[in-house]
Amino acid sequence: MFLVDTHIHTCLSPCAELDMHPAALVDAAVRAGLDSIAVCDHNSAENVGAVQRAGNAAGLEVIPGMEITSSEEVHILGLLPDVEAAMALQSKVYRSLPGRNDESTFGMQVIANEFAEVLGFNEHLLAGATTLNVEAVVAAIHAVDGLAVASHVDREGFGIIGQLGFIPPTLPLDAIEVSQRMPLHSARASFAPKGEHPILCASDAHEPKDVARAATYILMERATLPELRRALAGEGGRTILGGGRPMEDLALHILDIAQNSLEAGAGTIEIEITENLRENLLTIVVRDNGRGMDPETVAKVTDPFFTTRTTRRVGMGLPLLGAAAKAAGGTLTIDSKPEQGTCIRATFQHGHLDRAPLGDIETTLMVLLAGQPERNICFRHRVEDREFELDSRDFRAADIDLASPAGLAVLREAIRRGEAGLVKNKASNG
Amino acid sequence: MNVTEAAEKTSGTLVAGLAFAGREIQGGYASDLLSDVMANSREADIWVTMQKHVNIVAVAQLNGLAAIVLVNERQPEPDTIAKAEENGIPIISTPLQAFDVIGILFGLGIHGRRPV
Repeated sequence: MFLVDTHIHTCLSPCAELDMHPAALVDAAVRAGLDSIAVCDHNSAENVGAVQRAGNAAGLEVIPGMEITSSEEVHILGLLPDVEAAMALQSKVYRSLPGRNDESTFGMQVIANEFAEVLGFNEHLLAGATTLNVEAVVAAIHAVDGLAVASHVDREGFGIIGQLGFIPPTLPLDAIEVSQRMPLHSARASFAPKGEHPILCASDAHEPKDVARAATYILMERATLPELRRALAGEGGRTILGGGRPMEDLALHILDIAQNSLEAGAGTIEIEITENLRENLLTIVVRDNGRGMDPETVAKVTDPFFTTRTTRRVGMGLPLLGAAAKAAGGTLTIDSKPEQGTCIRATFQHGHLDRAPLGDIETTLMVLLAGQPERNICFRHRVEDREFELDSRDFRAADIDLASPAGLAVLREAIRRGEAGLVKNKASNG
Repeated sequence: MNVTEAAEKTSGTLVAGLAFAGREIQGGYASDLLSDVMANSREADIWVTMQKHVNIVAVAQLNGLAAIVLVNERQPEPDTIAKAEENGIPIISTPLQAFDVIGILFGLGIHGRRPV
């Protein structure tokens, strides 16, 4: 399972910050816990090689890419198999890109190496539109064996739906992308209610702090373009598990905590979300029977500089979940005993202006259960008097293999049905 | 005013939907964001735009627009012409820029209208 941000700019993009040089953005991606990124500058791929070299040194897979502006001013990402393909596509784009950059208007277009050194400046008008229409852009991407993704379809400007009213039904897109502006479950309902397009969540980062603001969880064997292609097509057991905003969505904090529980050797994890609208209270409880912590460690885990992790960090961790609870008039409590387990409980004022959005529960459960078919994971989501309960033991009892594509499809359907039932209830309660 | 007259007054050429050029124009709308046109244009509007993608025909048909004016000498793409003929949407191409096209039509009594 890989956490991937498929849309990151470098300092080559005129609108990006100078501190988005290859080494800096790779560093930001590693710190955010990403396994892989795609580097996509506007109408150019001249920094792709440097980002790949920086990524190799840091153990981060870097997929080459480019964000091409069509003649209709629609942004389309090309995710590409290698640097050679990127250079071939770049030649085609440059031939179709009129104008020269004016640095004082649009900003500098810095070509940099992996050592934060400036090698030169790109003189094309990268902020401009090519003369290629969307069909020609997608064809050019496919001609170099790339994947074509409509960028930030939730954005009016430069998004395909804003510019063209709707996605042309015959346009052979491989996926659509939503930005951090829209939660994944809303994006599904708005843009792919019948699963018309796979959806990638990506940050479109132009500065280091935005790297991984949105990202996608992908079940595949390696973080490479051929694997991503199979995942988008749902072939060979590969699939897009979900996505969201790791620094914001409570659903991804829950995922983060539950993954801590798994690392603590828990055989059983219980997750409870209770939305009590009458008392304006949102409560999240994650309980496990893992190895637990002694009182000193408990005191330390709420310190932002403490971690027992040596590998990935997803979500904001306990200190920042504590901050999110506090910001919404709630609290975070940790009850843990060595060799018995840990119970983490966060409360929020449900309607508080600063309460972080719940996000996409489907993603949380898909990532947790797909990764751990042998553990007992029990999820309960209550909204007023309605309840949705899902227990991995029920799937095992029914001989549904959560490691198989068919099993995952059954799981996804169960989550959707359950969560949809709760939403209906929310609406009827006003 | 009908579509043929609008083409003449704006130095334009009818490049598609000739058979429907007798259609009466009730008002006007100008925008290059098709989502915005879908939301805010009204039936029997003449629509002034830079966009020439085939989707413009679908938008015009959806809202029952009288005609589309492509400015700055832009020519519709071949599939746009085909769809316009199929759906009976007249398209005018003019060398004038949008500001001048709108000014001329406004002076002749074609105005923007509040969205429905």
